[in-house]
Amino acid sequence: MEPDVSIETSCMIRIAVLPIGTVPPSLLREYWSMLLRHQTIPLSAISSFYTEHQKSPFAHQPWDSGSLRLKFVLGGSPPSPWEDFQSNRKILAVIGVCHCPSSPDLDSVIDLFNSACKAYSSSLVNSCFAFCPGDSQLEDGGKKGGNLRLFPPADLQTQEFHLQTMMQDIAASLLMEFEKWVLKAESAGTILKTPLDSQATLSSEEVIKAKKRRLARAQKTIGDYCLLAGSPVDANAHYSTALELARLTGDYFWYAGALEGGVCALLIDRMGLNDPGLEDGVRYQYNSAILHYRKSFIQDNAQRVSPLSFELEATLKLARFLCRRELAREVVDLLTNAADGAKSLIDASDRLILFIEIARLYGTLGYQRKAAFFSRQVAQLYLQQENRVAAISAMQVLAMTTKAYRVQSRASISENTLPDKQVGSSHADGGKVHHQSVVSLFESQWSTLQMVVLREILISAVRAGDPLAAWSAASRLLRSYYPLITPAGQNGLASALSNSADRLPSGTRCADPALPFIRLYSFPLHPSQIDIVKRNLAREDWWAGSAPSGPFIYTPFSKGESNNSSKHELIWVVGEPVQVLVELANPCGFDLRVDSIYLSVHSENFDAFPVSVNLPPNSSKVITLSGIPTLVGPVTIPGCIVHCFGVITEHLFRDVDNLLLGATQGLVLSDPFRCCGSAKLRNVFVPNISVVPPLPLLVSHVVGGDGAIILYEGEIRDVWISLANAGTVPVEQAHISLSGKNQDSVISVAYETLKASLPLNPGAEVTIPVTLKAWQLAFVDSDAATGKSALGSMVRQPRDGNSPTLLIHYAGPLSNSGDPPTSGSVVPPGRRLVVPLHICVLQGLSFVKARLLSMEIPAHVGEDLPKPVGVDDIYNEGAIGSEGKMERLVKIDPFRGSWGLRFLELELSNPTDVVFDISVSVQLENSSNEDTLSADQGSAEYGYPKSRIDRDCSARVLIPLEHFKLPILDDSFFMKDIQADGPASGRNSSFSEKNNKAELNASIKNLISKIKVRWNSGRNSSGELNIKDAIQAALQTSVMDVLLPDPLTFGFRLVRSSLDPAKLDSPKESVLSSAFKGSVLAHDMTPMEVLVRNNTKDMIKMRLSITCRDVAGENCIEGAKATVLWAGVLSGITMEIPPLQESKHSFSLYFLVPGEYTVVAAALIDDANDILRARARTDSPDEPIFCCGPPYNVRVIGTA
Amino acid sequence: MATTACFIIVSRNDIPIYETELGSAAKREDAAQLHQFILHAALDVVQDLAWTTSAMFLKAIDRFNDLVVSVYVTAGHTRFMLLHDSRSDDGIKSFFQEVHELYIKTLLNPLYLPGSRITSSHFDTKVRGLGRKYL
Repeated sequence: MEPDVSIETSCMIRIAVLPIGTVPPSLLREYWSMLLRHQTIPLSAISSFYTEHQKSPFAHQPWDSGSLRLKFVLGGSPPSPWEDFQSNRKILAVIGVCHCPSSPDLDSVIDLFNSACKAYSSSLVNSCFAFCPGDSQLEDGGKKGGNLRLFPPADLQTQEFHLQTMMQDIAASLLMEFEKWVLKAESAGTILKTPLDSQATLSSEEVIKAKKRRLARAQKTIGDYCLLAGSPVDANAHYSTALELARLTGDYFWYAGALEGGVCALLIDRMGLNDPGLEDGVRYQYNSAILHYRKSFIQDNAQRVSPLSFELEATLKLARFLCRRELAREVVDLLTNAADGAKSLIDASDRLILFIEIARLYGTLGYQRKAAFFSRQVAQLYLQQENRVAAISAMQVLAMTTKAYRVQSRASISENTLPDKQVGSSHADGGKVHHQSVVSLFESQWSTLQMVVLREILISAVRAGDPLAAWSAASRLLRSYYPLITPAGQNGLASALSNSADRLPSGTRCADPALPFIRLYSFPLHPSQIDIVKRNLAREDWWAGSAPSGPFIYTPFSKGESNNSSKHELIWVVGEPVQVLVELANPCGFDLRVDSIYLSVHSENFDAFPVSVNLPPNSSKVITLSGIPTLVGPVTIPGCIVHCFGVITEHLFRDVDNLLLGATQGLVLSDPFRCCGSAKLRNVFVPNISVVPPLPLLVSHVVGGDGAIILYEGEIRDVWISLANAGTVPVEQAHISLSGKNQDSVISVAYETLKASLPLNPGAEVTIPVTLKAWQLAFVDSDAATGKSALGSMVRQPRDGNSPTLLIHYAGPLSNSGDPPTSGSVVPPGRRLVVPLHICVLQGLSFVKARLLSMEIPAHVGEDLPKPVGVDDIYNEGAIGSEGKMERLVKIDPFRGSWGLRFLELELSNPTDVVFDISVSVQLENSSNEDTLSADQGSAEYGYPKSRIDRDCSARVLIPLEHFKLPILDDSFFMKDIQADGPASGRNSSFSEKNNKAELNASIKNLISKIKVRWNSGRNSSGELNIKDAIQAALQTSVMDVLLPDPLTFGFRLVRSSLDPAKLDSPKESVLSSAFKGSVLAHDMTPMEVLVRNNTKDMIKMRLSITCRDVAGENCIEGAKATVLWAGVLSGITMEIPPLQESKHSFSLYFLVPGEYTVVAAALIDDANDILRARARTDSPDEPIFCCGPPYNVRVIGTA
Repeated sequence: MATTACFIIVSRNDIPIYETELGSAAKREDAAQLHQFILHAALDVVQDLAWTTSAMFLKAIDRFNDLVVSVYVTAGHTRFMLLHDSRSDDGIKSFFQEVHELYIKTLLNPLYLPGSRITSSHFDTKVRGLGRKYL
């Protein structure tokens, strides 16, 4: 059988093209392609070379329209035993191709050519074409003549023309030779034999038959020559005769041959005519020819030779003729029949050719799968041959089938299949895609077939010694079908991969990725330290608006915008390392060593850093791949470059995405990640990455360690934050803002320090102090609520919930390298540095409760009334035993005459495990600012002793409060005027009491704000207790009692002249007689007087009474056992006191027993007005108002 | 009963969604592969032929060596392909019709995604039973 047969094959003149001498393959190919252009030579073109020696047997030669068809056979072919039967099988001419520069000796060329021609006995015309001869060769060759044709070096066009002429010459010679042959054959009987009829012994009857048969065969052969000579009409005439004779003699084989020739003649004759009947005619005649070939089958020599191959050839010829989509059914039938014949073919190469032709025809028909099927059969036949060349052929044939079986190497999928890929990527973007298109991604699920094909490719590639093809096939097999391969098989493939890689030069690239599976895990956004913020030049706060504002994480109104740009955009900075997380999976049963893996970036503006990974069997791993952008521009990362099993491959994320998508739909064998125990498929958005020019880069650290700052509640501490510019561009603008919860815990940030250090050059560092105050643990929630709206631009809540963060927005110069900023240029973005203040607030002192305690310390009755406030000496003998400056704080209400002390008692507990020291300070209100400060500090420092609260203990702290009685309107005013106009002021305040509740509250607040409770613990923890609310609550209940003066104040005084005032003035004396000071003697008449002051604006009528009590509290004036005698009136003294005046009442007491006595004055106010009632909190107008003064102590000394 | 038969259901996307070897012939791996190859190649023929007739059962449409491919195309263009070496058209037709019913039942399963692999063991058992019955 011959390859590539068609009906027209019968009319083609076969010409062997032989390279003579050494011809470089590339040149040979070139010459060959030049020859191929002359496959059809019109008869009209050769008429000039043609000379009619005799009368041409081709009477009906169409000189104007006909042509000779040449078929070049490179390298020639051995003579076929069937040459007589089909003349077109003969090599009718030999053309030698010689490249003169490589074979200088023309004589040897001629010798070589002549000897080569000897092999082709059937050749009628021999000619040797010598290309590119040198000058000497030209000269030389001119003389040689003969068969040598020299092609002088010239341009291509000239050479082509030259060749054309030569070919026309050869064609004319052939035509003349054909004429000669036909004339000879017609006259002399030619014996024409085929292998079919060899040893047939001819009987006499058969001789006649044989004569006729010989005639028939001669006619058929003449017809063949007519066809070759391009004269179909003549051919047809001869074929008709041959058919007639062959039918008579029953020579079916030749009959069928003549039928075939007749069809060919018909086709050539009708060529160019649109004849609808032609097809039917051809079909009919060919079917008949096939039938007769079948008939000619002789059982005798079936083992040796069979006409089957001609039957199959005829079938293929018909199929090729009919090979059109519309006639597919018919062609398929023909080809199926032809395929059936394969079993009966004796020669293996015939079977090979048959399958090749069937595959080609199916391919032409568009039946790719059928074609692939037969190609695979071809490959199997090749593989049976067990030699390298056959293996190479097998490999190449199998490579052609890969498309139909959808196991192509990536290398063979060129750009034309891009739409396929697009499906995947568009899916990744859209998220949801119509189900059908997803299914179509996996149209190839014939895993059994695919594995078989790949395995065969692997085997053939190994046998053919093509390590790259073997590697590629093994990698495809392993990657796509690992779930169907046993671990042993997987190991085998792995070793096949490494064996192949051993034969490959290092650094070989292969288009087909092997393992591992790589998918994008995430694009880490910038760590908050190097966040990039778009700059809005129009605004002073250029960073505003770059982040979503408002309380909603998701705003429906901004949906479109955020989807397009802001959300999926990632900005990388030239020169700053970036990271991408990818997940690798090794679902196979062997240890996988990835020699290096790095990001694949086609835009060439990215330096990727390779890493190497070891993946144990059935495992997956998330690794970080990093790199540095080098140039400004967009970056796309389609996948990774992997160096594994000795070959470099590119793994595209998209492929794995599609694979995983198929896995979720149940269309793909297995999800490599899930079978390695990795988490479910996540949708990773691939952002648009763009690289921007270098930006400044601030790096921050907290001086003294970046750990959490541990503070107790209320603690105040300074923290130093050091900022360094690690970038290559100076920082020119910077702005600090606060974000997160508990923003009020940052008391101050030294913004000026930062400002002053601008521009911060690369490498420069600045340290800014930040003052922190720990928040209250209990108030965290409410603080969070208020803190939220404070700063719109907060983007990310720091992970550790409660701490505030410093946001430092900074930016480099507006334009790089000093170019004048043009309006169109893009402003380099700014950055945001997030400095989270890791504040860890521990529970500190906890406040339990506050109480206001009032304490009256009775005054001694002396000669003088207690002096007004402001005179320090007066409380030298203060009951609380405090001393020094702090005594200033313990003051007496002068108008009550006794020391009414108020204490604020705070109960604090210490649940921590450290010791706290508490100090209380009350700010003095009347001094200038500096004074206040110093006094404040002073009092805190050496005023009150520190109270120490041990761990797990609670303690009470007393805070003495001063002037609680007086201040109603304004403290300072009061303090100034108290001496001169005290009563008036007091009365004023009592008047304004009702109307000015608010002012009163304000004054309470004012007072409270002056009280500070500071604590410190250890060496450097100190803070302030937040007890304002507690104090307020404590004060509020007793505000009336505390703040308002009584309507009447009482005072007692000794009226004694015996004591020398001068004595008092001398300090020494006062010290010595301190025991006696203000005391009276027993058994002595002691004159005293009581002073009553009206603190109101109205006249007060009252009845005054005075009692005296002993230590036991017994009334010692009245009763049976009275120990005190008296003179004067002690009860029911009616007095009228004009407003803001005092009146005196004198009396005398006589103490019988020494000891401590208490004198108390009380008054019953008659006709009290409303103010008094309100003050006394009485409702009924009739009720008398009782006003009791404070007790006064009298010390009575015995006379003994 | 046929000595060799390979039955395969190909979805409209040309994906095999069910495949089984019926028949009593000793199973050889390469034979099973060849069966699939033949059936895969026959899809080309089916693709043209299915539109030329209104019948669902296309009879024997292709053959390779002794193996004949019979095809039944459902309305949804799912193809039931049977590779066999005997010609009992009636039995094959009944087989196809019964399998079609089974297939429709599978399709009615709301959890079955049309076009995906049929993994139901019940379906498999039934098909094998039908194979024993008709082939």
